Amino acid sequence: MPRTTIYVSPRSLGSHDQRPPAVVTTDLARLFAGRPALAGVSLTVEPGRAIALLGPNGAGKTTLLRILSTALRPSYGSGQVDGLDLGRDVDAIRPRIAYLSHATGLYDDLTARENLAFAATMLATPHAEVRVDRALEDVGLIGRRRDLVRTFSAGMRKRLALARILLGEASLVLLDEPMAALDDEAMSLVQQLLGAWREVGVTVLVAAHSIERLESHLDGRVIMERGLVTAVAGNGVTSHAPAPLVAGHPLTVTR
Amino acid sequence: MTALRYEARLALAIAAKDARAEMRGRQAVVSTLFFAAVVLLLFGFALGPDRARLAEAAPGLLWLALVFAGVLAVSRLHLIETDDGALEQLALYPVPRRAIYAGKALAGLAVMAVLGLVVLGAVAVLFGTSIGSAIVPLLATLMLGVVGIAAVGTFYAGLTVRLRAREVMLPLLMLPILAPLLLGAVKATAAALAGDPFGELGAWLQLLVAFDVIMLTAGLATYGYLLEDG
Repeated sequence: MPRTTIYVSPRSLGSHDQRPPAVVTTDLARLFAGRPALAGVSLTVEPGRAIALLGPNGAGKTTLLRILSTALRPSYGSGQVDGLDLGRDVDAIRPRIAYLSHATGLYDDLTARENLAFAATMLATPHAEVRVDRALEDVGLIGRRRDLVRTFSAGMRKRLALARILLGEASLVLLDEPMAALDDEAMSLVQQLLGAWREVGVTVLVAAHSIERLESHLDGRVIMERGLVTAVAGNGVTSHAPAPLVAGHPLTVTR
Repeated sequence: MTALRYEARLALAIAAKDARAEMRGRQAVVSTLFFAAVVLLLFGFALGPDRARLAEAAPGLLWLALVFAGVLAVSRLHLIETDDGALEQLALYPVPRRAIYAGKALAGLAVMAVLGLVVLGAVAVLFGTSIGSAIVPLLATLMLGVVGIAAVGTFYAGLTVRLRAREVMLPLLMLPILAPLLLGAVKATAAALAGDPFGELGAWLQLLVAFDVIMLTAGLATYGYLLEDG
């Protein structure tokens, strides 16, 4: 059973007024084999906000999150995270990002605790042993800490991957379909995490098909379709005019 | 903590993680030992029962078995990173890329060192080679050789791990680069076993040292690019 109070990054992020936008993208585009997965997205996300990226499969939500996580480079356009350039400042951006993709990034032949201990070393987490146990408690897996991850269900793996995020000091958390494979209990964990991150000023972008269960924890919504932003609603996020054609490049978008 | 100590700590953590996963799965050690044993036996059968001929061929057979098994070992160690997006997660950690290379190479070196000692013993038994009097130069050659295989193998395993045809591409890319190492290691082993009558052992060991330094330096400098999106 997950705890009711979750311990998140202790780093002070300062007041929202003093911080640059958490995310700024300008005509961000990414091609795969000549086809645009992201076709010119221009967004600004205020710091400390929880924003949902909504849209059907192939809308470009995952590609946008992967570019912001620095896992992918944009084909065209530019972007900043906390005022740092996604092209030039990758090394400075990485400590500020936590990314949960469709894949959990866990090692099957390590135990839950060993997976988190390894992540804590990579993230230079202070008081790593205490923080690892605390994170395992927070996601309700402390009783399974000595079990190999290969014996975990999809939902347990997702919870363990969420625990890994708790070990870092990210100012921007990117969650790609975090509710997939989660039962009701684990869903409430995601809700608690969103609340805890908002409380300390961490910006969260959540890609999802549906946000019914997270509605009350979100500030804004970005609706995407075929690699473009089609609508923006709520607070904390603005979109500039979509730029489906990138000047000088043969980028074709069928709408 | 100095930057170097920090990076060494990261590299050790990565190597320990690989070693722990390997101890549980035993994919690299068991498959490479079996493969090396099969290579030695098949070459032994091909050369026939002539003991003198087998002893003469022993250095070459030792290193052929080690190089072929080494390709398999580094490949298996990188496959750990294909677990559920682990490689992407590893690449996103805010750590120096050379620490990741050093950690993976260290894990490869550990597997190769175990493999090297077992294969050396197997060669001595199967081909009637006397290694007792030459043990120090043999161990030096073995260590320099497996460092080179691990250095090259880690780089190319990182290059091919995301490819569907990685099992085909890895040996195709790795074996030509290992040719100078194979030459130096076979000649140094032969010289050591013969008691170094022509005083050439030192030169061959120097070749191996140079090869290791070049390959480790190149790997440390360039491995990070393999982890990034093109």
